[in-house]
Amino acid sequence: MRKLILPVSIIAVILALVLLAPILPLADVRAMDIPHRFAGPSLQHWLGQDEFGRDVLTRLIFGARASLSIAIGSALAAALIGATLGLLGGYFRGLVELVTVRAAEVVLCLPPLLLALLVVTILGAGFWPLILALTLLYTPNYARVVYAATLQVRGLDYVTAQRALGTHPLTIVLRTLLPNVLPPLVVQISLVIASAIVIESGLSFLGLGVVPPTPSWGLMIRSARGAMEQAPMLLVWPSLALAGTILTFNLLCDRLQSVLDPRTVPVGGAIWLRRRGATSPRPSSREARVPRAAGPAGAGAVTDRAATDRSGETKPADLLAIEGLTVALDRPGGVGSGMELVRGVSLALRPGETLALVGESGSGKTLTSLAVTGLLPDVLAVTAGTAAYVRRDGTALDLLAEDEDGHRRLRGDEISMVFQDASAALNPVHRIGDQLAEGILAHRAIGRAEAANEAVALLKRVGIPDPERRARAYPHELSGGQRQRAMIAIAVANRPKLLLADEPTTALDPTIQAQILALIADLKRDNPDMGVVFVTHNLAVVAEIADRVAVMYAGELVEEGPVAEVFARPRHPYTAALIGSVPEGGAERLVAIPGTVPAPGQMPPGCRFAPRCDHAEAICRESEPAEFVPAPGRRTRCLRYEEVT
Amino acid sequence: MTETPLVEADRLSRNFPMRSGLFGRSRDVFAVREVSLTVARGEAVGVVGESGCGKSTLGRMVLGLEAPSAGTIRFEGRDLSGVSGAERRALSRRMQMVFQDPFGSLDPRRSVGAQIADGLRVHHIVPKAGIETEVARLIDVVGLQKSAAKRRPHEFSGGQRQRIAVARALATRPDFIVADEPVSALDVSIQAQVVNLLADLRRDLGLAMLFIAHDLHVVRHLSTRAVVMYLGRIVEEGPSDKVFGAPAHPYTRALMAATPSITARKVDEGHVLAGEMPSPADPPSGCAFRTRCPIASPECAAAVPDLSPFEPGWNVRCIKAGPAHPTGAQP
Repeated sequence: MRKLILPVSIIAVILALVLLAPILPLADVRAMDIPHRFAGPSLQHWLGQDEFGRDVLTRLIFGARASLSIAIGSALAAALIGATLGLLGGYFRGLVELVTVRAAEVVLCLPPLLLALLVVTILGAGFWPLILALTLLYTPNYARVVYAATLQVRGLDYVTAQRALGTHPLTIVLRTLLPNVLPPLVVQISLVIASAIVIESGLSFLGLGVVPPTPSWGLMIRSARGAMEQAPMLLVWPSLALAGTILTFNLLCDRLQSVLDPRTVPVGGAIWLRRRGATSPRPSSREARVPRAAGPAGAGAVTDRAATDRSGETKPADLLAIEGLTVALDRPGGVGSGMELVRGVSLALRPGETLALVGESGSGKTLTSLAVTGLLPDVLAVTAGTAAYVRRDGTALDLLAEDEDGHRRLRGDEISMVFQDASAALNPVHRIGDQLAEGILAHRAIGRAEAANEAVALLKRVGIPDPERRARAYPHELSGGQRQRAMIAIAVANRPKLLLADEPTTALDPTIQAQILALIADLKRDNPDMGVVFVTHNLAVVAEIADRVAVMYAGELVEEGPVAEVFARPRHPYTAALIGSVPEGGAERLVAIPGTVPAPGQMPPGCRFAPRCDHAEAICRESEPAEFVPAPGRRTRCLRYEEVT
Repeated sequence: MTETPLVEADRLSRNFPMRSGLFGRSRDVFAVREVSLTVARGEAVGVVGESGCGKSTLGRMVLGLEAPSAGTIRFEGRDLSGVSGAERRALSRRMQMVFQDPFGSLDPRRSVGAQIADGLRVHHIVPKAGIETEVARLIDVVGLQKSAAKRRPHEFSGGQRQRIAVARALATRPDFIVADEPVSALDVSIQAQVVNLLADLRRDLGLAMLFIAHDLHVVRHLSTRAVVMYLGRIVEEGPSDKVFGAPAHPYTRALMAATPSITARKVDEGHVLAGEMPSPADPPSGCAFRTRCPIASPECAAAVPDLSPFEPGWNVRCIKAGPAHPTGAQP
């Protein structure tokens, strides 16, 4: 609501001036004073006098009466008629559409000024004919805008829900559709008021609008034009009034639109402050991280420690070892800056291993994988932690300390990603084969033709039928499953060491999901050293493909271990509840975890799961649980892990 | 079985004319083809199938939100095609819908309470003065805080929104609810909350339900009878425990094999169904599933198999209907 103060107060001042004009101590609007024609500003005449010696300020204020009432009156009348036509036409379609929207569109065939001239010629110049002309002129615009918005809204589920409720169609139009098409309507009103003021002035200027001596801004401009050389300011005043009023109306409608939208999130600070906040701290926070990852040797030490930490057995060095990763909102001065979305996550992945990262929305599983690839959104930053990674050439580095250039060298080459929504991840205007070849050329010095051949071979490898033809297809020409295959082909094009797959099968049908899971398993056989991090919320998928599973809750890792062991005997109540909530095995009632995941700003003290946990005790709510090792190779963040069944 | 079923769909079809090219012959594309189905009082029927199999269109037709191209729907024995206008709207009190997307099914601009009250007002379920208490009761039934009524939908999480949608559907005290993928957009633990809520409502209020989903586990958990659809046709229908316990149609078997299970079972690539569902605009001749069927043989292309009784109350549309064939033992 605060946003409305400025435009509303300006408009209130304008309207007050206009309405109170007769009782304000102004000069007589028609009183001529020929000896003082074109006199400059003086104490009696603040803005000077016009060609008949009349007071310019008075005429400006009285002129606003005509200009504004014509503009606002016709804009509102046209809005009412146009919106009605558009709503009815858009909701009922068919014949109704023909007699409403389509009929109104006939008006659009006539040049606007010509139409206005026609009406004014037939009915004579004056106030009411002008309103009629402008209303007629603008109605089809409204009808079209509202019609288009209605078409969008009418297919939405909440409108269907109203139909299913048995609500009367007209009630649906008024109560459900109208509020939801208001935003474009409001914008349109602002545009039309502005343009109606201009057209009114134009018509008056041509001598077809308001009849002199009644003042209007258009008439004032018209008469001032003749005397431009003697008194240029006479032209400036009405033009300024015109421009200022139009801008104010635009501002009001902009602000109204954002106020009307219930989904707007209040954001702190002006936009230029926020922008700076998002970009400037990056170098400083990287400096802060440098000491922790002091070159290859330092990172190597981290790897060794991580390996010995988890168990004593000898095994190949970790491909990726994340230690204490923390991701926080980074918006200095903004609301909630420093809020931690991921806290202290440590994970290790060995070559050839598939690690599933499981959790519900908001658990931080996706952020964890994005942090590793340097793809965190601008408002987030890694504030602590290391991610030791050993490159193909044997050099070790800390992925969290890499800058964008470093990440770009790795991404798509050694480290690649598969996303949930392949249709959004593939570029719709490039052919599949070209996108694949581009990924290959970015990291390997081979010829275009060779890359194109390799692209076809890759498409064939991921099981796309008729790969030669498909390579020339655009993403929208493929089915959902094939698009996902194509994206996987791009991801494995350079034989990555590390594949991060973020919900790659969530949007797919069961049989297609099974095909994609089989494909990933198959590709791992091709490239047995490839480590896979599989982010998912589906426990059953985890059971099918992963070797180890890491369960995340509210930004923390709560349990980790081999899939079979964790699923057979979970050691964290959250894992146990998740498993119990899967509708398998014929239990009468599913285990539903009461409540919801706490919002990042409202994390409970102590164990973050305690408020929803049926094992929680007083101590759980007071202090954060440490990490326990219930069995070799397993970790849990629960004090009472022994009681969990 | 002498009692009239609550809802009865008889040979429902829905087609869309489609023209290939500007002057091409217009051809009918069937989204749903000759689907017959009954739902008795208090019964939960689950419809499963992959996207594009026509299950959502079926649900919308049963509720009268979309007109069938052919076939009839009877509610308590009354043919709905003959009922229109005010009478039709009055009937809709008794059948309600819960949508898949809890973010799209609630009007973002109106308070939750007002949206739940819509049904009460439209059908005059309670006197005007009692609306507020009734809304509070409904909000309580679905397990939300009383303060929810005054808030807008965007302040709630997905699971909570889905509960609001259920409360809105319950407001008119329906006998029959169509739930179109009510849990697929929700997180696992929240999914369980909504599944439990639907199960409780059925038990406590004796609601009949048509439950549309692609997740076999959820359908199996919630429904007494299951209907499996493929390319617009029912391929198998029968008691849930039988259809999912020992599926007789190869497609149901493939669907079962493709659905991941939490009980340790590594992906067996041999059982993964190859290919994708053919386009409804160009269905294969004969049995629509034969192009992907592991046990298909030339006679499958001859004609569309009938939906024939396999056991009493259990129908299968396959000439080779029967328990699982061991793989490799194809004739």
